[in-house]
Amino acid sequence: MRTKIIITLVGLFLAGCAAETVNIDVVNDEGKAVMELDYRDFAQAASEMIQSMISSGALKKPGGGRYVMTTARVTNDTMQRIDTDQLMAKIEEELLNSGQVVMTSAVGGRGAPDEMIYEMRDIRDSATGDEFKQETLAGKKTLIAPELSIAGKIFQRNIRYDRNRQQVEYYFQLMITDLTTGLRFWQKESIIGKRGSNRSVAW
Amino acid sequence: MKTITNILLVALAFTFTACDQPAEKIHIREGIRSDDLASNIVTRPVAHAFSALIGEGIEIDEAILMNNDSGFLELNINGHNRSYNTKRFRYKIEWLDANGLMIQTKTSTWLPASAMGKSSFSLKAVAPRVEAVDFRMDTKKWE
Repeated sequence: MRTKIIITLVGLFLAGCAAETVNIDVVNDEGKAVMELDYRDFAQAASEMIQSMISSGALKKPGGGRYVMTTARVTNDTMQRIDTDQLMAKIEEELLNSGQVVMTSAVGGRGAPDEMIYEMRDIRDSATGDEFKQETLAGKKTLIAPELSIAGKIFQRNIRYDRNRQQVEYYFQLMITDLTTGLRFWQKESIIGKRGSNRSVAW
Repeated sequence: MKTITNILLVALAFTFTACDQPAEKIHIREGIRSDDLASNIVTRPVAHAFSALIGEGIEIDEAILMNNDSGFLELNINGHNRSYNTKRFRYKIEWLDANGLMIQTKTSTWLPASAMGKSSFSLKAVAPRVEAVDFRMDTKKWE
């Protein structure tokens, strides 16, 4: 009986101590920095990349108009499970909104970003295609090939700073290549460094 | 009491002497350059303490807006750090359209900046939309 009371009291005590869940103010987050990459780091890296791309003039198409761009492979070489779309979605959104480029969903480093493009073509070429009005189905040779490609990688270096602290460096590297000539139009590296306890694990 | 007042007055004079110098193209820092009246082994600790006491910090000298070749608005901010210590801060630039409405962009996020003691610094930002005609900027302490 006594044991049950103690267990109940300990349980109640621990429940009372549990950290309260709160929503993060993602606009003005006053939270402490963490050793891993968090959304603020991606927002910072994306902002630096976008501003550099736009101010470089590399996306200004000679003769006017917009470049057709695709996202090639952006590799995650960190020790963390990162979906690189966390960075690229922001960049793609801003480049589209800038009016300088149009992104293609037909090809990409990880396959077509929108598989429906090819599924509809498979339907067109199958017996099911007869169920559709032929003029509403995409014809052959209608896709537009990308002119520019954006590729890069994110990698991490862990360095022992002193007995109690470690330094973690995250490198964001992106480049834009002209797919016709293979020439590189733009390139940037953005570094985010963190220094903290050895006990924090950055993966 | 009179001695303390005199020390404070001397420190004040040294601080203002050091602050009112125009931004130099080549900045040789204390400890490397030759000492002067406002910065020698005797007066340096007093001047530093007084600077901290009156809470010297970042000041913005000018904000230059111009359109780049692609038609995007570019902002160049020049400022200086009056304090003797490095000031780390974050800033956020929001872009405004012709109606004064804020343009939602991913670039309007808190970005880090840093200015070493008694040094000038520059910040550069580019509006990612051609609709931007003006800006507003906010700062906060580096957490």
